[in-house]
Amino acid sequence: MRRLADSLRGLVHPLAALAAGLAAGAVAVIVVGGSVGETYAEMWKGAFGSFYYLTNTLARSTPIMLIGLGVALAFRAGFFNLGAEGQLLFGALAAAVAALYLPAPPALAMIAALVAGIIAGGAWSLLAGWLDVRFRLNLLVSTLLLNYIAIYVCSYFVSFPLKDTSGSAAINQTNMIDRAVWLPKLFKGMSVHAGFVLAAAAAVLLFLVLRHTVAGYHLRMHGSNPLFALYGGVRRGRLMAWTMLASGGFAGLAGAVEVLGTQYRYIDNALTAPGYAWSGIMAALLANSHPLGTAAAALLLAALQTGGMGVERNTEVPLEIASVIQAAIILFISARFTRALLKRRKARAADGTAA
Amino acid sequence: MELLLDVSLYGSTLRMIAPILLAALGGVICARVGIFNVGLEGLMLTGAFAAITGNHLFGDVWLAVLFAVICSGLMSLILAWLTIGLNANMIVVGVALNFLASGLTTYCLSAIFHVKGSYYDPGMAGLPKWDIPLVGDIPGVGGILSGHSPLVYVAFVLAFVLQFFLFKTVKGFRLLAAGEHPEGARSLGIRIDRIRYWAVLASGVLCGLAGAQLSLGQVTQFTEGMTAGRGFIALVAVMLGQNHPLGVMLASLLFGFMDALSIRLQGYALPTQFTMALPYVMTLAAMFLFKDRAYLRQTGRID
Repeated sequence: MRRLADSLRGLVHPLAALAAGLAAGAVAVIVVGGSVGETYAEMWKGAFGSFYYLTNTLARSTPIMLIGLGVALAFRAGFFNLGAEGQLLFGALAAAVAALYLPAPPALAMIAALVAGIIAGGAWSLLAGWLDVRFRLNLLVSTLLLNYIAIYVCSYFVSFPLKDTSGSAAINQTNMIDRAVWLPKLFKGMSVHAGFVLAAAAAVLLFLVLRHTVAGYHLRMHGSNPLFALYGGVRRGRLMAWTMLASGGFAGLAGAVEVLGTQYRYIDNALTAPGYAWSGIMAALLANSHPLGTAAAALLLAALQTGGMGVERNTEVPLEIASVIQAAIILFISARFTRALLKRRKARAADGTAA
Repeated sequence: MELLLDVSLYGSTLRMIAPILLAALGGVICARVGIFNVGLEGLMLTGAFAAITGNHLFGDVWLAVLFAVICSGLMSLILAWLTIGLNANMIVVGVALNFLASGLTTYCLSAIFHVKGSYYDPGMAGLPKWDIPLVGDIPGVGGILSGHSPLVYVAFVLAFVLQFFLFKTVKGFRLLAAGEHPEGARSLGIRIDRIRYWAVLASGVLCGLAGAQLSLGQVTQFTEGMTAGRGFIALVAVMLGQNHPLGVMLASLLFGFMDALSIRLQGYALPTQFTMALPYVMTLAAMFLFKDRAYLRQTGRID
C-alpha cells in the first residue's frame, strides 16, 4: 500500500509538468490567434480519435520508446549519451544492408537484420565510450559530434554505393527490401508493427535488469554517485563500455525496426527529419530515466506529435505546436519544479522566516 | 595546394569563425563560474531567428541585432533561473533549452512567415560590410582582413576585452573566484549567484550576436536548425582554449578555417558528404589534444 502511494507521488511531478506544458502550448496557440479548445480537441482526435489514429500513434512511439530506453540506461549510469541519432542511423543502415544482401531464408534474414542493427548502433556508441575511457574525451561532446559524422557517412552510402538506381533519381534510398523480410503488422492495414511489441518487452526487460541484477545495481550506483561506486570496486571503463554498447544497441534496434516495419528501405533523411532520436532523449528525461516511465513518456510524445499533425490538417495552428509543448514539458520537468517549490515551502516552515 | 593559397578562403574563414567565437566566449564566461553551458546551440539558434524576425518587423538591421540579443538574453535567463535559482541539473536544462529553441523557432517560422524549412527575403538588407581604410590597401592581407560584417570585428575585439576583464580587473577576479572556490568567495562577501546570473546572461547576449551574424552576416536567411552544431563546436573550442579568451580565439580560428574549407571543397570532385563532415571530424580530432580537467574531476579520474 505504501509502495503504491510512493509511486503515485512520483507521478505528481510529471503530471504537473504536463499541465504546465499544455498551458505553455495554449499561450502559443493564442499568440497566433487560434482557439485553444479547438486545437486541443483536434490534437486529441489526431492522436487517439479513431483506431487508425491510435495505431499511428503506437507506430510512431515504437522508435522513440526503443531509443528512450537506451538513453535512459546510459543516463541511469551517469553517462550523457546524446548520440542516439547517429546510433539510430547506423542501426537502420546496417539492418537495411543485411535484409537486402544476406542470402538467407526470410525469417532468418529478418532476425539477422535486427541483430545487425543492434550491433551497428552499439558499435558506434561504443566508439564514443572507448574514446572516453582510453583518451578521456568528454562523452557528451563526442557523442554530439559523432551524430553529425554519422549523418553524413550514412548519407554518403545511400547516395552512392547503395543507391537504388532503378527508380527516380530524386531520392537517395536503398533498394526495396523483400516483402517476406518485413516485420509483420499487428493489425491488417494499420501502421503499427511487431516492433512495438519488441519495444514494450524491452522496457519490461530493462526495468527488471536494472532493478534485480547485480549489474543493474552497479550501474545505478555509478549513476547516483560515481566516486562511491569507484570506492566500492565498480570499474568505470568496463561499466561504460557495456552500458554504451547496450545503449547504442537500443537505438540501433530502433533504426532496424523502423526500416523493417515501416519504410522497407533506408531513405536518406527519413529518420532524422521526424526527430526520433531527440524525442527518445526527451522521453528518458521526462521519465527521469525510469524504463517503464520512459515507455509511457514515449507514448505521450508520440501522441503529441501525431496529434500535432491532426492540428495542422484541421486548423490554422502549425504542426510545430507539438514541439513547443514537448520542450516546455521537458523544461518544467528538468527544473524539478514542484519539488523545488515544495522544498522551499518546507524550508520556510522549518526556520520560521518568510524569506 | 593552390586551394590553400587562395586569399578568399582565409577571408571566409574569418566570416565563419565569428559565430563560433562569439558563442565560445559566452561559454568561457560560463565555464569560469562553473557552469557547463550546453545551451549555447539553442541560444544561438534563437538569436539567428530573432535577427531575421527583427529585420522583418523593424526594417533596420541594427534594431534586428538588438532584438536578437534581447531574445537570446531572455532565453539565457530561463537557463540561469533553472540552474542557479532552482538548482536543476545544468546539462539537462541545457539540452531542454536546445529543444525549446528548435521548437519555438520552427513554430514561429510557420506562425510569422507562413513557410516551412527556411525563410529568405531578397529585399531584406543584411549586415553591412566594413571596408577598413588603411588595412584594406595592404597587398595580400588586406583582402582577408577587410570587408567583413561589423560583428566579425566585434568578435575579435571582444576576445581581447574579455581577456583583459577576466585577468586584469577586480570584477573579473571576483568572477574567477566565484567559479574557482565558491565557498571561499562567498565568505569574502562576493555574491556568487548574482555573478552566475550575469555570466549566463552574458553568454545569452553573445550567442544572440553569434546568431545574428549567422542569419544576417552572409545571406539574409533563416533555416531550421541552421546553427548545425556550431554551439557544440563552440563548447569544444572553450575546452581546447582552456577557458582563456585568447586561447579560445585560436581554437575558433581552427574551426572557422575547417568550416570555410569544407564549403570551398564542395567545388571539387569529392562527395559533398565528406566535405560537410570535415568540421565535425576535425573538432573531434582536436579533442585529443587537451584534457578537460573539470570533466575528469567530475568522473573521479583525477583529484
